[in-house]
Amino acid sequence: MSAIVFAGARRVYDLPSRRVVALESFDLSIAEKEFVVIVGPSGCGKTTCLRLAAGFDFPSSGEVNVGGQKVTGPGPDRAVVFQHFALFPWKTVHDNIALGLRNAGVPAAERERRIESALKLMNLESAARAFPHQLSGGMQQRVAIARATVLDPAVLLMDEPFGALDAQTRVVMQEELVRLARVNPRTVLFITHSVEEAIYLADRVVVMTRAPGRIKEIIAVKALREQEGWDTLPKIEDVMDQPSFVQLRTHVWRSLRDEQVPSE
Amino acid sequence: MPGRRGLIAAASLLGLALLWAWATSPFGPVSPERFPSPPLVGAAFLQIATTGFAGATLPRQVLTSLGLVIEGFLVAASSGTALGLAMGWNRRFAAFVNPVFQLLRPIPPLAWIPLVILWLGLGNAAKVLVIWFAAFVPAVINAETGVREIPGALLEAARMLGTPRHRLLVEVVVPAAAPMIFTGLRLCLQATWTTLVAAELVGSFYGLGHVLSEAQQDIYPGMIFVGMAAIGVCGWLTTAVLGWVERRLLGWHASARPAHA
Ligand SMILES: Nc1ncnc2c1ncn2[C@@H]1O[C@H](COP(=O)(O)OP(=O)(O)OP(=O)(O)O)[C@@H](O)[C@H]1O
Ligand SMILES: [Mg+2]
Repeated sequence: MSAIVFAGARRVYDLPSRRVVALESFDLSIAEKEFVVIVGPSGCGKTTCLRLAAGFDFPSSGEVNVGGQKVTGPGPDRAVVFQHFALFPWKTVHDNIALGLRNAGVPAAERERRIESALKLMNLESAARAFPHQLSGGMQQRVAIARATVLDPAVLLMDEPFGALDAQTRVVMQEELVRLARVNPRTVLFITHSVEEAIYLADRVVVMTRAPGRIKEIIAVKALREQEGWDTLPKIEDVMDQPSFVQLRTHVWRSLRDEQVPSE
Repeated sequence: MPGRRGLIAAASLLGLALLWAWATSPFGPVSPERFPSPPLVGAAFLQIATTGFAGATLPRQVLTSLGLVIEGFLVAASSGTALGLAMGWNRRFAAFVNPVFQLLRPIPPLAWIPLVILWLGLGNAAKVLVIWFAAFVPAVINAETGVREIPGALLEAARMLGTPRHRLLVEVVVPAAAPMIFTGLRLCLQATWTTLVAAELVGSFYGLGHVLSEAQQDIYPGMIFVGMAAIGVCGWLTTAVLGWVERRLLGWHASARPAHA
């Protein structure tokens, strides 16, 4: 059974001055525990697509199903990591992570245990009592990831989660996410602008056309990755040096390049 | 550095006092009969502190007004903030309430006094209502704006984490709007003090507003000054208390500010 299914999803925004088609005949089936990464030019509808799966927004026509059910609103089964973190500034790191567990009615002892292990996993133990504004961007992002993963959601939706990070932190987070994804695979829909990031993380990479966004091409990475043994390499730069990786990167690059709007 | 700021504040007050003493002295340009000199104000202060003025000594006048202000503030702040939160949360409710609200806003609190007396008589409730007309407005406006300006992503994050709709108010809406709510409360408190004199025109036996009205009738500038100074000091004290509460509750926000500045 597929975990996330977009069936002819289309989203139109009717603005006073004009009509914006944000997403057009979007068909995509994401299998259970599959890691799918979407890349595409700015404004092509990536965020729109993720918001439909999250239940923050609904298709103008077509359907979006998660776990065999039509999406009718957000819920803790589909945890979201927002592009700009969206941490609660009045809550400490600990309390930000605790909210979802409290809502789920997890008993206090168990709750503390899970928060503690989430903090440890994200290397945040020393920051538990800090407020978000006292943390670096990288730490805030790790809190946002901890807040989403502590619920052990069936589906994880991530909108350019590493976009705001510096190159070094980004690499660490990417390696961390790959480690998590291979140890404890779950269904992930991940958006990025980085081709390397997409190929490094994904089981499949979805390339979108420029607006109105459609699917241009879907590239299977998983079989190649396993065949070439990328997962046995501990460092991202070792993976990125593999001829198989370079070849795929060039392919995705070209595909994306064709979609850039010519500058006026 | 609070020490230096305190020093500057003291210097400013001292400068004002010296200017005043000089201006109303025989060498200055102002006649003490029009603008009371420090000795005249001192004498008025001594009078109200010992034998009393307008029915009682100073502590009783101050406590009466302070009680009225606290009562008026609590009523105006709670009702205004609640109304503002509801208006910010529900656009349709805001659209429904707004016309009435905009119509009532420009009416000076003083204009309500005859009607208020007709409705509520001359008791405390009438005075609180006069204060309410002026003081609830900033509480409404700021709470409403505070809710309107909550980043959508925070509400989405809360819902994604499974927060039930009825819990959103306490989990997100109130804390996210709290900095604006407190701005409203500060303005609300200010409005409460500035409406005090008007409120105490409604059948008062004691109070600083009452002192001012009596001093006006007696053409007693020294006492008018004492009444004004007492209101100034009390207003400053209550504002300081509110500021202390705000810093306690919004520690996360106050310290977040420099990063945005
Ligand atoms: N709430 C909205 N109202 C009107 N138009 C919108 C709204 N949200 C998105 N759009 C439009 O829909 C299109 C797709 O937006 P979307 O945010 O999905 O793009 P994106 O691929 O995520 O872009 P980026 O890479 O820059 O984040 C854009 O043209 C955008 O202007
Ligand atoms: Mg986007």
